[in-house]
Amino acid sequence: MRLALTGAAALLLTTTGALAQTLTISTYGIAQDGFKKHLYAPFEAQCGCKLVIEVGNSGERVSKLDARKANPEVDVIAFTDFDALDAANKGLTETIDAKKLTNYSKLYEFARDPVGGNKAIGYTYYSTSIAYRSDKVKIDSWADLAKPELKGRVALPNITTSQAPLALFMIDKAVGGKTPDLAAGIDFVGKMKGDVTTFYERGSQLPQLLQQEEIYAAVLGRFGWAGIKKLGMPIAWATPKEGQSGGINVLSLVKGSKNQDLAYKFIDFWLSTEVQTKLAQDLIDSPVNADVKLDDAIAENLTYGADTAKSLSLVPPAQLLEQRKAWVDGWNAKVAR
Amino acid sequence: MNKLLGPALTLPAVTFIAVGFVLPVLILLSEAVTVNGAFSLSPLIGFFRDPGSVEVFWRTIRLSGLVTLTSAVVGYATALAIVDSSPSARGRLIGTLILPLMVSPVARTYAWVVVLGRTGLVNLVVVGLGLSPEPLRLLFTETAVFIGLVQLLLPLMVLSLVSALENIPADVVPAARVLGAGWFTTFFKVTLPLTREGLVIGGTLVFTGALTAYITPAILGGSKVLMLETLLYQRIRVTNDIAAAGVIAIILVVLSITANVLLKRVAGGRSQ
Repeated sequence: MRLALTGAAALLLTTTGALAQTLTISTYGIAQDGFKKHLYAPFEAQCGCKLVIEVGNSGERVSKLDARKANPEVDVIAFTDFDALDAANKGLTETIDAKKLTNYSKLYEFARDPVGGNKAIGYTYYSTSIAYRSDKVKIDSWADLAKPELKGRVALPNITTSQAPLALFMIDKAVGGKTPDLAAGIDFVGKMKGDVTTFYERGSQLPQLLQQEEIYAAVLGRFGWAGIKKLGMPIAWATPKEGQSGGINVLSLVKGSKNQDLAYKFIDFWLSTEVQTKLAQDLIDSPVNADVKLDDAIAENLTYGADTAKSLSLVPPAQLLEQRKAWVDGWNAKVAR
Repeated sequence: MNKLLGPALTLPAVTFIAVGFVLPVLILLSEAVTVNGAFSLSPLIGFFRDPGSVEVFWRTIRLSGLVTLTSAVVGYATALAIVDSSPSARGRLIGTLILPLMVSPVARTYAWVVVLGRTGLVNLVVVGLGLSPEPLRLLFTETAVFIGLVQLLLPLMVLSLVSALENIPADVVPAARVLGAGWFTTFFKVTLPLTREGLVIGGTLVFTGALTAYITPAILGGSKVLMLETLLYQRIRVTNDIAAAGVIAIILVVLSITANVLLKRVAGGRSQ
């Protein structure tokens, strides 16, 4: 009898499994436990559908999208704003109809159409600046990265990371660069390369390097700040006179998706005040929904508020996309060798 | 019947290797010599024209060679000691030797980040003994990668040499001694030639291992000490340049085979 019941239950499960619609999401690999708890599981419960999550680095997932454009498997993709522009230019993504999103009006202005043509919608953003040992050095400018106190004690993002263009953009600004190829900034980094401890590829390495006093300063995105504050060391977040940079992560609808209605529902859910609040409270993502209210203690670890958003020197995605190759070439000639 | 049985038994494994390994590798390698669908050597030439890539190429050969040489010298001494010990101690020693191979390479390499760090054990000793007024910068240098690779690969060399030493007929060394050969003569004229096969196997394993190690150079060297393997990863992940990655893959395969052939030559030449 028990066996028969189990069998029946299993049959029931497989039938519902087969009937349930699936929605495939392509996203970053970080904090998946948190996303599962606050985003995926509640959405599945609400829609009675099944989410399939594919994770990876932003650029690599765009390539996959391109490779499978004839028969796309992914419905919604989360990536950087410039990768979104790249995908839009390649005709891989759909124009988003804002009217289908009930939470659209709650978004900060900068998140509504970050790459133009309604091809993407921001779901989180972050500032990028310098974390430094306030007892060892004082940082007021991006050019201070080359201060003598930091000789052999500074980590910069490698050109392969999404933080590198932002760091270069600001350093270039600080040293009076005038050209879009950031030649002055790249030159500056090239001259100090011997004094750079490492050009890091994984931001997750930074807390350990700071703890071991391997480095006194590092350029990083605010999403890594919580891990550094936990060290309990005298480390400050710089507010350089040239400003902080930053980036927006966005969602796009994949062209040819067979689950568009469900995809809209998912995007809307992700942007809702409730989900954005929960993701912020667990320090997973900074909210773009202006209705999200956070305690100071939480806000301190994130990038929060309309004023912060306005103050950031964001690299226009079009410039980044257009110049990225020149920056990489310049970097390879001056810094990597 | 028996003639057919042999090949028939290997068929599942051979099919698996052919479909799951040889074919994809060939497809990958073919990417390196095609431009717009036609055969071309330009990706390969491009690699050797780029000074940055050439630097990585020579660094990889230099470091792998140095790691192999160090492992051979240090490994030989260790292997002799192990073979000389009592059977029960031998088991324990080999067990200890294999133990690090059972630890995740990521955890092991991160341990080196702590040990080699500015506040780590090595620098504690260096500064404590007054060898340097302040802690040395070891992390993200070739030295760090070298140390990490030797620790990673030394057991393979020792194991190959232990089995080679165990296979030496028991009476050849006493015979050489009886005939008046000293320790050095016995070692260089008898033991070493008889274990050259072990050195070739160990050397190939260590050299290939150093060539294709990813985690060690990635964590201990970072982007300032790129090796072919870390460069390959960068080409795929960041620039999505499959052709460049294919070129590096070809170079790695060629280097591995060349190393094996050369080592056999060297070992074979000495005995004649």
